[in-house]
Amino acid sequence: MTQAVIAGYVRSPFHFANKGALAKTRPDDLAAAVIKGLVNTTGVKMEDIEDLLLGCSFPEGEQGLNVARLVSFIAELPQSVGSVTINRFCGSSMQSIHSAAGAIAIGAGEVFVCAGVESMSRVPMMGFNPLPNPELAERMPAAYVSMGITAENVAKKYGISRQTQEQFAVESHAKAAKARQEGKFKDEIIALPAASEDGCIRPDTNVQALAGLKPAFDKDGVVTAGTSSPLTDGASACLVVSESYAKKHKLPILARIKSVAVAGCSPELMGIGPVAATRKALQRAGLSINDIDIIELNEAFASQAIACLRDLNIDAARVNLDGGALALGHPLGASGARITGKAAALLKREGKRYALATQCIGGGQGIATILEAAS
Amino acid sequence: MTIAKVCVIGAGVMGSGIAAQVANAGLPVLLLDIVPPGVEDRSTLAKAALVKLAAAEPAPLMSKAAAKLIEAGNLEDDLKRLAECDWIIEAVTERLEVKQALYRKVDAARKPGSILSSNTSTLPLKMLMAGMPESLRRDFCITHFFNPPRYMRLLEIVAGPDTRVDAINAVAAFSDVKLGKSVVHAKDTPGFIANRIGVYWIQYAVNAAIEMGLSVEEADAVMGKPIGAPKSGVFDLLDIVGLDLQPHIDASLRAALPKSDGYQKLSADFPLLQKMISEGLTGRKGKGGFYRLNKAGNKKTKEAMDLKTGNYRPVMKVSLESVDGAKGGLRALVSHPDRGGKFAWTVLSQLLNYVAGLVPEIADDVADVDLAMRTGFNWKRGPFELIDQLGAAWFAEKLAVEKMPVPPLLATAAKQGGFYQASSDGQKQLCLDGRYKAITRPAGALLLADIKLKGSPLAKNGSASVWDLGDDVACLEFHSKMNSIDLDTLSMAKKAIEIVSKGMRALVLYNDAENFSVGANIGLALFAANIGMWPVLDDLITQGQNVMKALKFAPFPVVGAPAGLALGGGCEFLLHCAAVQAHAETYMGLVEVGVGIVPGWGGCKEMLIRQNAGNVPHGPMPAVMAAFEQISLAKVSKSAANAKELKYLRKADGITMNRDRLLPDAKALALKLAAEYIPPLPVELRLPGPSGKVALNMAIETYALQGLALPHDVTVSGQLANVLSGGATDVTEITSEDRVMELERGAFMALVKTEPTLARIEAMLATGKPLRN
Repeated sequence: MTQAVIAGYVRSPFHFANKGALAKTRPDDLAAAVIKGLVNTTGVKMEDIEDLLLGCSFPEGEQGLNVARLVSFIAELPQSVGSVTINRFCGSSMQSIHSAAGAIAIGAGEVFVCAGVESMSRVPMMGFNPLPNPELAERMPAAYVSMGITAENVAKKYGISRQTQEQFAVESHAKAAKARQEGKFKDEIIALPAASEDGCIRPDTNVQALAGLKPAFDKDGVVTAGTSSPLTDGASACLVVSESYAKKHKLPILARIKSVAVAGCSPELMGIGPVAATRKALQRAGLSINDIDIIELNEAFASQAIACLRDLNIDAARVNLDGGALALGHPLGASGARITGKAAALLKREGKRYALATQCIGGGQGIATILEAAS
Repeated sequence: MTIAKVCVIGAGVMGSGIAAQVANAGLPVLLLDIVPPGVEDRSTLAKAALVKLAAAEPAPLMSKAAAKLIEAGNLEDDLKRLAECDWIIEAVTERLEVKQALYRKVDAARKPGSILSSNTSTLPLKMLMAGMPESLRRDFCITHFFNPPRYMRLLEIVAGPDTRVDAINAVAAFSDVKLGKSVVHAKDTPGFIANRIGVYWIQYAVNAAIEMGLSVEEADAVMGKPIGAPKSGVFDLLDIVGLDLQPHIDASLRAALPKSDGYQKLSADFPLLQKMISEGLTGRKGKGGFYRLNKAGNKKTKEAMDLKTGNYRPVMKVSLESVDGAKGGLRALVSHPDRGGKFAWTVLSQLLNYVAGLVPEIADDVADVDLAMRTGFNWKRGPFELIDQLGAAWFAEKLAVEKMPVPPLLATAAKQGGFYQASSDGQKQLCLDGRYKAITRPAGALLLADIKLKGSPLAKNGSASVWDLGDDVACLEFHSKMNSIDLDTLSMAKKAIEIVSKGMRALVLYNDAENFSVGANIGLALFAANIGMWPVLDDLITQGQNVMKALKFAPFPVVGAPAGLALGGGCEFLLHCAAVQAHAETYMGLVEVGVGIVPGWGGCKEMLIRQNAGNVPHGPMPAVMAAFEQISLAKVSKSAANAKELKYLRKADGITMNRDRLLPDAKALALKLAAEYIPPLPVELRLPGPSGKVALNMAIETYALQGLALPHDVTVSGQLANVLSGGATDVTEITSEDRVMELERGAFMALVKTEPTLARIEAMLATGKPLRN
C-alpha cells in the first residue's frame, strides 16, 4: 500500500456570507484562486496532477454542473488533469482527501488536489429549489431537520448550558484573534483582490455581549448566533501526494495520512457524529485518544463541539489552537480541507507526532482523519 | 423651459426631504451643504443627510431606486456643478445675510436662465432680493414646501415683481406634475397663506384653552375631528412641530406684520411654554411635550400636561357633549352651551373672521386659501368652506350680535348665499366683485367629482357606480364604506363589463376617495360564518373569482387606478387588470392572513404568475417561495414604486405623482391600450406539488419554533402552502389558473370554518388591528 502525505495547505480568507468581502466573488473563481495559490506555493508540477477533487455542499447554481471541472479550467490546470465534485455536506473536502489517499493506496495516481468551496452568499443553504420527499418527510421528519435544531438537541441531551457554550465561543474568537495578530495565518491564506485577511473573527467579543443575544432557532432554546458558526464564503485546498513522489520532488511533507473513517448517527443529533468516526479512525490507527497531540474539531456549533470533547474525553488545550469555525467561519464544503490541512500544518509547527481532524455532518454523520508527523 | 436636473442647497430635514421628493419623481438631484471646519470628508453633511433619509419614518423616499438619484456634495468643490441644474432650491438657515451671501455665490456659478428659489417660510421675497442683480431677480421666486415634503401636498409659490412669468410657470408645472404638489400662488406677505392662518389658529386656540380652563385633551378633541382638522388638534400639533419653534415663528410674524393686523392682538405671554422649552420638553423630538409616554415602572402610560399646574398626569378621556354632538354639523358644535362648544365658537369666530379679511391681501381668491389649508394643514375643509358649512349669513349675523366687525367679503357672502356655489359647469367661488366664477383646476387635472357634476351614472347600486368618462371609456367607482367590496360591488363590476362590451372601448377602476379599497367586506363574511351560511361564503368566493376572470380576459383593456390603500380584495381587482396607473402614494398588499384567511379571488394565482411560476428552467420553487413569503407576511407596499419592487405592479404600469391627475392619466392609458388590444391567454403554471408544500411547511415550522409564527399562523400558512404549491400536482404537469383558484376557494372555506380565523375577523372589525393568535 502506498502511503499518502499532505504536502501543502492553503485557503482563502473566510468572510461572512451576504455582508462580507467575498459575497460578490463567484465560488468557482474563489476555488480556482485558492488552487492556483496551492500550485504556486508548493511548486508542484501541474502536469503530474491526476485529479482535482472539489468538495461542495450545495452543488447547484454557480456551484453547479461539475463545478470541479470548470474550476480546473479557470485555474488553468492542464486539460489532462481530471476533476470531480464531491458532496458529503460539511465533510465534503475532508472526503476529497480520503478519496485521494485511497486512490494513492491502490496506485490510482500520485498527485491530487483536494479542495473545497462554498459561497453561502451565492448559493443558499437548502439550495434554490428545496423539494423534500413528502413520504420520507412524513415518516422521518428528522431526515430534513434544520441544523440549528440539532444543536439545540445536542445541548439538551448532553446538558450543555448556554453559558458554557458562550464561554467556548469567546475562547475560539480569542484564539483566532491572537493567531491572526501573531501572523499565524500568513502561510495559509491566499490573498484575493476582494480580501486578504479573515473577516469573521470578533476579537472583542465577550460573554456579556453573547449573553444578550436572542436564541436563534428555538425561542425557548440555548443556541444563539454567537454560539453557531456563521454563514461563510470561503475555499481551501490541500496537496495530497504519495510519500515517494513528495520525496522525489522535494515537496515539504506536512504529515502522513495515518487513518480515516466515516460513521453515521441519528440525524437529529448530527453534531455528535465526530465521536463514532474518531473512535473508528483511532482503532484503525492503533492509537488511543491520549496519543493525539493536536486536534482540529470543526465547531459547527459550540454545543456539539463541547459534547464531542466530553464524549471523547479530550481536554481543550489540544484543540483548535488557532481558533475554530465559530470564530473563523464555516464555508460548508471548504471546512474539511481547512481543518485537515491545518492539523497537518500544526503538527509541523508544534513539532508533535499525531493529529486528529474531525467534523460533524448534516443528515447525521461524522468524519475523521488521523495524521502522523513525517519522520 | 424644461427642468431635467435639480439642486437642493441645505441638507437639513426640509432640504433633504425636498431632494427626496425630486428623486421620487425620477429626476437626478444634487444635494449640497457647507464644508464644516476640520472634517476629512468635505461632503459629510449631505452624506449624513442621505443616511438619515434612508432611515426616516415616514419614509421620505419611495424606492431604493430613488435613493440612488440623490448625489451628495458640498458648496465649495461642487459649486461649479450648479451649471448642470435647471432649478436650484435653497433651503438653508433662515438668516437673511446667509441666504444673500449664498445667492451671490450661486448666481456666479449657475447657468443663465436657471431658476433659483428659496424655501423660506419667514423672509419676504423683497428682502431676499434687495440689492441683487436684475438677472437673478428675474429668475428668482419662493417655493415654500411643507414638512414632510413627500406627504404634504401644499406648495406655496411667491413671485416677485421682476420674476419671469415663464420661470414661475415652469416651476409650477413641474411641481404639479412631477412632484405631485397642489400649487398655490401666494402673495409676498408674512407667513404666506397656510402659516399665516395656521399659526393664528394655534396661538389663539392655545390662549383660549388656557383662559377658558380646558384641558389639552379637551382642546384637541374640539380642535381636531369636529372642525375637520387632524386629530392632533393644536397641542399635539405643537408637540409634532416642536415647541421650541413656536416662539421663533411667533416673533417673526409679529415683527413682519403691520401693527394693525389682528395677529398683534393675540397674547404672546405663555410662561408654561417657555418653562417647558427650557426644561427640554420640546415635544415628540424632545423629552415630551403637552403629551408624553411615561415609561417608568415597566409600563407605558400616556400622560398629558396639566395647563394649570405644569405637571404631567395620566391622559383623561374627554367627555364633552359638544364633541359628541359635532356629528350634527359644525353649527351644532359652536352653538353648544358646554365649554367645548364655547371654546369652538370663540376660536372659530375669531379665526374665520380674521381669515375673511385676508383676501386679497394674501391670495387672489378664497379657493386658493381653502386649498392651502386643506393641503398644508390637512384640514378636511378650508376656512371659507367652514364658513359655508356654518352658513355665511348665520355666521355674519352671529358676529354682528356679538358686536364683532364683519369683513366686507364675508358680508357679501352672507348676502349672496355663501362663498361657493355648485353648478353643472363645476364648482364656482365668490369673487371680490360679488360675482361667482368657476374654479379651474390646473390644465389636465380631473376628478370623478367633476364628471359627476355633469350628469348621472350609467348604472348604480349601494356599493358602486359606473360612469361615462367620455371617449367611450367607462369608470367603475367603488363608494361603499371604506370602499370595502361586497356582493353589490361585484355585481356592479359585472354590469360595468357588460356596459363596456356593448360598444365602449375601455374600463377604468377608479374613485376619488382617500383609499382605493380596504378589501372584501369581512363583516359580511363574519355574519355568514356565525350563522353557518357556508354556501353564501362559497358563493362570495366563486362570484369574486368569476368577476376577476371576466376583468382579466375581457375583450377590452381594464386599467386600475388606485391611490392610498389597495388591500386584499382591492389589491386582487388590480392584479387582474390589463395595466395599472397608480398614484405614487399607493399602498398595495394581500393582507388576508391578518384575518386568518388566504387570498381567494385569484390573488395567490396572480402572485404565482407575477413571480414567474411558469418558468421551469429555474426550478419550480423560487416563484412559489417568493409568493409565499409575500402573502404569508402580508407585505404592503410603501409606495407605488415599492409596489413594483414587490411585483404587485408590473414594470410597465404607470405612476402618477399628482392625485388630481390620476384619473386622466388612467383614461389616457386605457385609450392607448384599447388601440390595439389583445386580451391575455390563460397562463400555464408549473408548480411543485406536495414536495414544495413540505419545503414550505418546514419553513413555517422553523418560524414557529423561533417564535415568529403563532399557532394559527401555522394553520393559515399551511393552507397557503397547499395553494401555492399547486395541491396534488407534480412538476411534470401543467396547473391551470382555474385550478389554483379552486385551491384558493378550498383553503378559504377551510379556514373560515376555524374559530381562530373568526376571532381574527371579529378583532379586525372591532379594533381595526390584526389579532395575534
